[in-house]
Amino acid sequence: MIDRALVGHVGASVALVALTVWVSLAPRSAVAQTGDDLFDASVVHEVRLFMNTRDLAELRARFEENTHYPADLVWRGERVRNVAVRSRGLGSRNPIKLGLAVDFDYYTTGQRFLGLRGLVFDNLWQDPAMIREFLAMGLFNRMGQPAPRESFARLYINHAYQGVYAMVEDLDEEFLARTVGGRNGVLFEFKWLYPFFGDDLGDDLAAYKPIFEPRTRLHDPDASLWGPVRDLWQSVNDEDSVTWRPSVSRFVDLEQFVTQAAIENYLAENDGLLGYAGMDNFYLYRGEGATIHRFFPWDKDNAFLRADLPITHGIDSNRLMRRALEYEDLRARYFAVLAACAQMDLEEAWLATRLETAAALIVDFTHADPLKPFLNADFDRALDFMRAFARERATYVLDAVARQH
Amino acid sequence: MIRSAGILINGALCALAVLATAAFPASAQTGRNAGESPDRPGFQWTDHPTLILGPVAQVEVRARVQLDTHPTVTDADDERAGGLDLAKRRLGVAGVLLKIVEFEVDRELKDDDDPWRDVYVNLRLARPIQVQAGKFKLPFSLDENTSATNLNFIHRSMLGSYLSPGRDRGVMVHGRVLDGLRYEVGIFDHDGGHARTANPARVYGGRTPVARVRLSPFRSGARWRRTLQGGVAFTTSQVPEGVPGIRGRTVLDASFFSSRYWVQGTRRRYGTELRWQPGPFSIESEYIRVVTERRGVSVENTDLSSLVAEGWYVSGTWAVTGERKARGLERPRRPVSRGGLGAIEVAVRAESLGFSSAATGEAASSSPRAEVIVGNRDRAQTYGVNWHPHRWVKVQVNAVREALSNPALGPRPGHPVFWSRQLRLQLTL
Repeated sequence: MIDRALVGHVGASVALVALTVWVSLAPRSAVAQTGDDLFDASVVHEVRLFMNTRDLAELRARFEENTHYPADLVWRGERVRNVAVRSRGLGSRNPIKLGLAVDFDYYTTGQRFLGLRGLVFDNLWQDPAMIREFLAMGLFNRMGQPAPRESFARLYINHAYQGVYAMVEDLDEEFLARTVGGRNGVLFEFKWLYPFFGDDLGDDLAAYKPIFEPRTRLHDPDASLWGPVRDLWQSVNDEDSVTWRPSVSRFVDLEQFVTQAAIENYLAENDGLLGYAGMDNFYLYRGEGATIHRFFPWDKDNAFLRADLPITHGIDSNRLMRRALEYEDLRARYFAVLAACAQMDLEEAWLATRLETAAALIVDFTHADPLKPFLNADFDRALDFMRAFARERATYVLDAVARQH
Repeated sequence: MIRSAGILINGALCALAVLATAAFPASAQTGRNAGESPDRPGFQWTDHPTLILGPVAQVEVRARVQLDTHPTVTDADDERAGGLDLAKRRLGVAGVLLKIVEFEVDRELKDDDDPWRDVYVNLRLARPIQVQAGKFKLPFSLDENTSATNLNFIHRSMLGSYLSPGRDRGVMVHGRVLDGLRYEVGIFDHDGGHARTANPARVYGGRTPVARVRLSPFRSGARWRRTLQGGVAFTTSQVPEGVPGIRGRTVLDASFFSSRYWVQGTRRRYGTELRWQPGPFSIESEYIRVVTERRGVSVENTDLSSLVAEGWYVSGTWAVTGERKARGLERPRRPVSRGGLGAIEVAVRAESLGFSSAATGEAASSSPRAEVIVGNRDRAQTYGVNWHPHRWVKVQVNAVREALSNPALGPRPGHPVFWSRQLRLQLTL
């Protein structure tokens, strides 16, 4: 006589096996993906773009223009139809390994992919190590400063391998909703046209419009968009030391600015808020109905300049930073953030660990990258340079901060 | 200099028309004297100023000037309301040589880019077989092939203006066979001027065969049904890869669909038409469908569903002063010059013009290579009054109500429904 409990146990086992088989055989697309899956940095994603050959040829021929071309994007079997692709970048823009911006709702109103409105494919053209941007944005997020999420991707266009790219979350309403909780504010992308060190560009809004390009609320009137931006930089250049801080505080979150600048200097970023050629690679954000602005980091391909880059690098040339650090609390915050970065890095071997993880992920794909502008040996040497940076930077910064006291 | 010459020509045409209206009403109304030989050499002014060179040749001079008030479609138009535009100033000659060769040459003086309109000869071999060659309208669409002088409304129907082919260079065999059956079969260089824009990058059809058949089934029956006529027409052409020139514009010529969608392959036009003119009334209707293939233009170089443009209209008129529509209203029973009211006609037209892709189902997209495109449709009603105080003068007043399915693409984004109004003064010799 068969034991009923045994029958029940066998039945349950069979059901469990069947369930497991069913789940494993189910199409992947049946499992809901999220933006976090797309920016899962533990894998190198495979992304395929499909473009009409005529459009692709024109995109390469006119890579200096921002013309949009239609495409389909495929990731993990999910196809997003009718996306718009355009060439992007400044120094990295080229017709060989295209830097690409993908807009999901350019042609199809309201279309989102995993909650994203746009996605950037950074061609890593200016970074032989291929991981600067990834490490830098990771540190911002680690230190609690909102920054775009990133992961690596092998990009194929019409089945042709284009190499390793950094897949970067675009800064738009969806990014704002995720990071600061509101999508209705004004977001500007800073466009480097000439060295800008926080100068007063005068009363005419026309001077601010070309370098602060709105990415949200595009149809707002000029005075509403750029009026507070002008007021910001005019207040920064207020010579009166008594009124300076209250005046500037109406337009800038000084603590946030100092924090971001400190993290950038920990990263030895030479082309950011305190860049060698003026301010660059940042977004400026103002909440709905507010006058106060904050900054977001962008494009850190030029970070990790050298491990012994002075921690006060660029401070004196930037009008906002120089004046801000005249205030003891802000100065203290700046060095405290630097020290916090170094301390965390030292304790967790954060940079070194993340670097090795990323390098292991991409090394084979990078060696096979047919369009990168450097040799495999250059890539390997650049990784070694980054390893040395990771070993030395924290100690250097902690020593330098200590000397400030 | 050219502008001055244009003003001069305008003025001359207007003056000629007014002068003719005032000076020659009697002769114009009576025409040639009874018993007078039509071949007698000399100058006559019946329908048009005509030079007669005996049986060898007969040449008419034709002229038309149209003055329109500014249309009021956009907000900017509202600010200009009340002003006048010189819409057309057409000058031409037409005639017959040796009684079998007809010809016509028309030039639009207001158009510097493409001034020549009809330039053709027609060989009248026999009633069943005539051969026409030159530049003229493809035999497709009743409305498009109605002379602008005789239109029931200031503007042609939208399908006549944008879906019918319009003019091109070609050769056509046509004639009447049996009693009441007309045919027109031809081949043209391209698929007409309406498929082109000023933008040379826009593509249009290549060599275009066209066929049209019209039947008047009661031609020998009772008078009230004699004028009933129905017809069908067809064209086909090959369109090279590119963005097409066929576009959607409102009744008063404001854009509501500017195609950015790639096409390539065969373009086919299908048309049906119906006209009936019993006594002082008339009814007309047409339907046109233009299907353009999109071969190999997807993001993966595969085929997409065809681009479809479709339109129809139904219109009706009533000559309240009693003239017979089939004979035309340009000869009022009681012209103003004889103390009458002239001919007065009321007209109404309902029409629709829409653009879409053959495929549906997925989200519509404005991507130039989308399977399902973001289309648009304009549904319009036109209400008009036509006044012919004299055979050479016509005044038209139109009010147009239009409704767009996608107003964001139209002249007044945010306003799905809008009204327009316009007045036209037409002088014709």
